[in-house]
Amino acid sequence: MRQERMTNKERIEALLNGQPVDRVPLYPFTLGFSAKNVGYPVATIYSDPQKSFEAQLWTQEQYGFDWGPVYGYASYGTWEFGGEIKMPQSDYQQAPAHTAFPVQSAEDIDRLELPDVKTAGCLPLAMEFSRLQARQGMPITLVFGSSFTIAGNICPVEKLCRWMLKKPELVHRILRLATDHIVDTIRYWADTFGGEQVIVQIWEPLASNDIISPRQFEKFVLPYLQESSEKILSIGVKHIFYHICGEQNLNLAYWAQVPMGNPGICSVGSQIEIATAIKHLGDIAIIAGNIEPRIIQTAEPQQVYELCKRAIEAGKKAPRGFMLMPGCETPPDAPSYNVFIMRKAIDDFGWY
Amino acid sequence: MSSEERTQELIKGLYDAVVNMDEEAAVELSRAILKEGIDAYQAVTNGLAAAMQKVGELYANKEYFVPELLLCADALYAGLDVLRPHIKAEKMEVKGQIVIGVVEGDIHDIGKNLVKIMFDAAGWTVHDLGRDVKIERFMEEQQRTNSNIVALSALMTTSMMAIPKVVQMIKALNPNVAVMVGGAPLTREIATSYGADGYADTAANAVQEAVRLVEMFSERKR
Repeated sequence: MRQERMTNKERIEALLNGQPVDRVPLYPFTLGFSAKNVGYPVATIYSDPQKSFEAQLWTQEQYGFDWGPVYGYASYGTWEFGGEIKMPQSDYQQAPAHTAFPVQSAEDIDRLELPDVKTAGCLPLAMEFSRLQARQGMPITLVFGSSFTIAGNICPVEKLCRWMLKKPELVHRILRLATDHIVDTIRYWADTFGGEQVIVQIWEPLASNDIISPRQFEKFVLPYLQESSEKILSIGVKHIFYHICGEQNLNLAYWAQVPMGNPGICSVGSQIEIATAIKHLGDIAIIAGNIEPRIIQTAEPQQVYELCKRAIEAGKKAPRGFMLMPGCETPPDAPSYNVFIMRKAIDDFGWY
Repeated sequence: MSSEERTQELIKGLYDAVVNMDEEAAVELSRAILKEGIDAYQAVTNGLAAAMQKVGELYANKEYFVPELLLCADALYAGLDVLRPHIKAEKMEVKGQIVIGVVEGDIHDIGKNLVKIMFDAAGWTVHDLGRDVKIERFMEEQQRTNSNIVALSALMTTSMMAIPKVVQMIKALNPNVAVMVGGAPLTREIATSYGADGYADTAANAVQEAVRLVEMFSERKR
């Protein structure tokens, strides 16, 4: 490996401040992988902030990742709004999963209340994790689904889909609560740590074009993204990190209309070419992506290396910067060398 | 008895009701079909099932998405509920039986449910085990129902690792049962490496793949 001219912290700070970096940074997206890497059960990442933080920190140190530990999972919202989740238990489970939704019928929506951000669901765990980040002088990364993804965790997705066409007013009521909850929570975090210290991560898997159309995105997703983002930025948060998960090529023109801070950060899945992401979002956001997790898990190292090379070569041209990143969470069972090879590819092709 | 023209008009109406997501029209037209003495089997095949095939194409071409497909399916099932009890026994041709489910560790069942709809529409008997299904349940249900095919779905790279174990368990007991797989992290190459016989990349292609497998396994037996 070549001699680096910046520490991980300096590199990320420079990237966020629009200053030159020595090489392409590596964002790992290693949650369950970090747990297994240090011999902990995967559930530890979500249920034990101290161990979660340590496992990710040690794994970051071992592999040379640039972005540090984060706490969050895609089914966020179920527990916080009064439903139930279960932590991953078997070898085949990757993350917390909902077992009982807060909303099963239209009447249930009448009973929904905004959660207490100090006590609801995983938020006390997330706060404990954020305090560990603060103690280490790291940016405080707070993870949510978007309003739409949270709505799909409050109410079963198929019901939500049917209501989108037959009773859209019910969907808007859930989205209203989800949006207010996101803003309430970020305000609490900003009051605790200072808005400028908080980088909000918003994951959006449910708006994939495998599920909804671009027109439905425009009607049910975009307005709430815009509203929550404007409010988040007005609280003092400087950067919003959007994980545009899955097949969302048809939504990219809408994503470009979402305020993200200066700069925002957009990570994309393997379904979106890095050049396409730059075309739509490169002027407003740092682009991150897009190594396919399936390849990281199942392919030989050379194939991972080639994908990384392609992504780095396309991404280095991004006007607001680029991070190499898996297109979604690194599989907990990924071969160790396939994770290391991402850093190796940066060393071979990622220097500025 | 209706004229051929009237028969075609009603069946076309039924087809349109499904494609246009109109559950009430599907019920009304199905009742009208029965009242006018039109063959229920013909209405199901040329009206409801043909419409669902079209819906599958619209989904594959990104003209319809999951919300539209679900409402089309609601219209399909509403029509089937009216017509099915009136199909004459000799015409109750079952295309095949399939056990379907999302493998252990995975709660993402939208894709599986879309596949189930396509099999229902095509006249298969579907034994749906739901989601987060324990490995051995697939084998037990296949044995109980003597199904031709077991279809496994996974959305996560972690849960897809349960698939080779299910395949191994089923094949050890009966190598003549075909196993097909689908879901975001899977490819035909991975399916083959897991010992599966078939793979479908979309719900719309799943029935065609199952038919291919049934024919392939029938050939082998000869």
